[in-house]
Amino acid sequence: MTTLSLHGLRKTYPGVGQAAVHGLDLTVDSGSLTALLGPSGCGKTTTMKLIAGLLSPDAGEVALDGTPITTLPPERRGIAMVFQNPLLFPHLTIAQNIGFGLRMQRLPQTDIAERVAAMLARVRLDGLGDRRPAALSGGQQQRAALARALILQPKVLLLDEPLSSLDPSLRDEMRALIRTLQQETGITTLVVTHDQAEAVALADRIVLMLDGRLAQHGPPEDLYRRPASLAVARFFGGVNFIPGRSQGGLFQCPIGPLTLPPGAPQGDHILTLRPEALRLGPGANPRTGRIDFVTFLGTQTRVGLTVDGTALQALTTPDLAGQLVPGTDLTISLPPEALWLLPPE
Amino acid sequence: MRANLRTLAGLALAVFLVLPFLPLVGWSVARGWRFPALLPDQVGVDAWAYALSPPSGVLASFAVTTLIASATTLLAILVGLPAGRALGLYRFRGRGLVFLLLLAPALLPGIAVVFGLHGILLRLGLAGSIPGVILAHLVPVLPYMTLVMAAVFARFDTAFEDQARSLGATPWQTFRHVTLPAILPGLMVGALFAFLVSWSQYLLTLSIGGGRVQTLPLLLFSFASAGRNDITAAIALLYILPGLMILAVTARRITGRGAALTERLHP
Amino acid sequence: MTDRTRLALLLAPALLVLGGLFLTGLGLTLLRSFRYMPALGLTEPDLAAYAAILTAPGFLASLAFSLWVAAASTLIAAVLALAAALLLRQTFPGRAVISFLVQLNLTVPHIVGAIGILYLFSQSGSFARLAHAAGLITTPAEFPILTQDPYGIGIILLYVWKELPFITLILLANMQTLGEDHEAVARSLGATRWQAFRHVLLPLLMPSLLAASALVFAFAFGAYEVPLILGAHAPKALPVLAWQASTDTDLATRPEAMAMAVVIALIGCALLAVYGRMLAKGGAGAR
Repeated sequence: MTTLSLHGLRKTYPGVGQAAVHGLDLTVDSGSLTALLGPSGCGKTTTMKLIAGLLSPDAGEVALDGTPITTLPPERRGIAMVFQNPLLFPHLTIAQNIGFGLRMQRLPQTDIAERVAAMLARVRLDGLGDRRPAALSGGQQQRAALARALILQPKVLLLDEPLSSLDPSLRDEMRALIRTLQQETGITTLVVTHDQAEAVALADRIVLMLDGRLAQHGPPEDLYRRPASLAVARFFGGVNFIPGRSQGGLFQCPIGPLTLPPGAPQGDHILTLRPEALRLGPGANPRTGRIDFVTFLGTQTRVGLTVDGTALQALTTPDLAGQLVPGTDLTISLPPEALWLLPPE
Repeated sequence: MRANLRTLAGLALAVFLVLPFLPLVGWSVARGWRFPALLPDQVGVDAWAYALSPPSGVLASFAVTTLIASATTLLAILVGLPAGRALGLYRFRGRGLVFLLLLAPALLPGIAVVFGLHGILLRLGLAGSIPGVILAHLVPVLPYMTLVMAAVFARFDTAFEDQARSLGATPWQTFRHVTLPAILPGLMVGALFAFLVSWSQYLLTLSIGGGRVQTLPLLLFSFASAGRNDITAAIALLYILPGLMILAVTARRITGRGAALTERLHP
Repeated sequence: MTDRTRLALLLAPALLVLGGLFLTGLGLTLLRSFRYMPALGLTEPDLAAYAAILTAPGFLASLAFSLWVAAASTLIAAVLALAAALLLRQTFPGRAVISFLVQLNLTVPHIVGAIGILYLFSQSGSFARLAHAAGLITTPAEFPILTQDPYGIGIILLYVWKELPFITLILLANMQTLGEDHEAVARSLGATRWQAFRHVLLPLLMPSLLAASALVFAFAFGAYEVPLILGAHAPKALPVLAWQASTDTDLATRPEAMAMAVVIALIGCALLAVYGRMLAKGGAGAR
């Protein structure tokens, strides 16, 4: 079990003015399955490569259990990385691919064969060891790539967008496999993804990176319901933002005072409320809004409203949609327990 | 440290690549350069002046070589472009065989085919003439042109042509305004290198020309074997000029595409 | 117009040229090598020309010489090109200049390079003068014979100089297609820098390296003008010997020239097979 920590990690690519990673500080708890989440171009993959030792940072430190490994070459870090594409070596069989790292350590052939056979079974590729990578399906290739890293029993496992090259139908299966294997082995695992739903479904903890900086780190629920900033809330699909001032348990804003949950901070803030928490119908903090649009989304329906000049959105069940007519007025309520205050911009 | 080592290795490579040009430059401006002098006894432009004067025949030879290479390239485009289209766009039985037939003349040494070729062109009454030499050059040049065009057409989407036809363009208009602009960059590079392949031919010209078609390499060899190092060097430097110009036109970083095209070039 | 007709029309001119000139030319050479020349009254094909060249000592010596030159040039050029490609893949000051020189070299006709090598390495060439300046020799004759020598050293030097850039460019293109991810995976799986090269990059490059080497070998084996300038009087390179036999005033040696051309063509075909195989393999591997 290993704790991975990054201190002030910084990387700028030559010729690109902006840094890819700006002084990143991060601790990945031992044995956790952590998702490194962010939009493309936010520095996720760069961070992965810095951790794996495939890039060297301009400044900062990578440490395992407090021991700096920043200057170690990749092969001596005990960190295995699985890339976005399976990148199985085309000139080797599946078994040879999986045994590659052990062969690099010059282990006896018989040991390698034994461990490869066991690993093939664990990722359900039994009987496919003699095939060439091209003969396998995308999902099988991805499982082989995972096996190739896991067989080394690395201190830290890095997975770069492990599901993105797979068909949607195969993703659930692969996600479950990653979770199972991670729980069985207890290997500290960091998964890079740009998909917030995937991060929420897969990981114990989420590290959100925006523009090369750490935006928030915590359990998925925290990032979802208690975002640290406007940018985090927006990334998680937040749409309702009302600027105002919190004073004595009330929030003074353009749609009138709203009752806040107990313990809300004082002063200027931006109030946010997840669209699915906005209730259509009477309740606490009731308001009257005019319906602007109703969009059917399949399992949900998105409703746009204007309340005293402020645009708000709600997500509701489709069976209610029939009663909602654009241009008509509707009573809504903003439950205090769902209100969250963001620091002002 | 590692970067220094790289620079050092790079320097060694650069010196190695440039080295054979140095005595050529030296000789071309030398007025006498006896052993063991490291530098020419005197420097002058005599060799250049002679090489560029009519009696040396260099300029006439330059013109003939240019004519032959240009005509060969044009023919290669006319014949190779349609064939490249067929190979790049269609999957058909015998396609592999056609590829093999194309690779063979590019790969087999000229000496393997030159005797038979001479026999054919003799029968056609073209031996010893410029048209005969052009036809002979077409044998190594056409495969190169066709393979480049096949690669170009393999990346070409014919839906653009269908779109143009459905908008009322005639087949010729479609080719002129849709297909040609799309394939032009590849065609240009292919043509420039086809020109160079013809430009570099020695044995085919010697054999088919029968001494009556004096291209630059033939002239270069006769001056070299006459021991006129200064004039030989001047002609040699003139001879690499088109290659330099073509490189300047197509020069870019070593990109996948540039290299993929040169990859097909006869070594 | 059906697709089949269209295809036939597109391919017809090229097939006409290749069939009419190349294949017929090869066929004619083959017939004449069997001494079938109706114009000269020879209508009974036989193998006399092959028997004649096999028993003449000059042919075997020339064949061995050409094979030696081609093999040595190809091996040295391939190894150096691999090193050069690995170097040019990195970034370092002056890389752009070297990349330019590598491409420049590709456009230079062999005959020019051969003359350059001659002026560098002959007994009165630049290096002999440097040796004199360093006090190592006093007369040209004391300088080692490196050009027009019986071992083909000058010829090999030229081919290494000329084909190294060619192989380098092919390898660089291949490396660019492959990307660096395979090596990065290997490193993150515990391979050292050397192991990643040895077990991952080199096997992936091998098909294109072998294909390029086959091209270089074929050229070095069959070129005429290079040994003409840099070769010794004996043994002659096989193409030079064949050309001389064909221009001999004695018409009886002509079929022998044709037979030698056929031998060269056969070796070329074998290399073509290697090339085609490697190309197919490389294509499959890259996918």
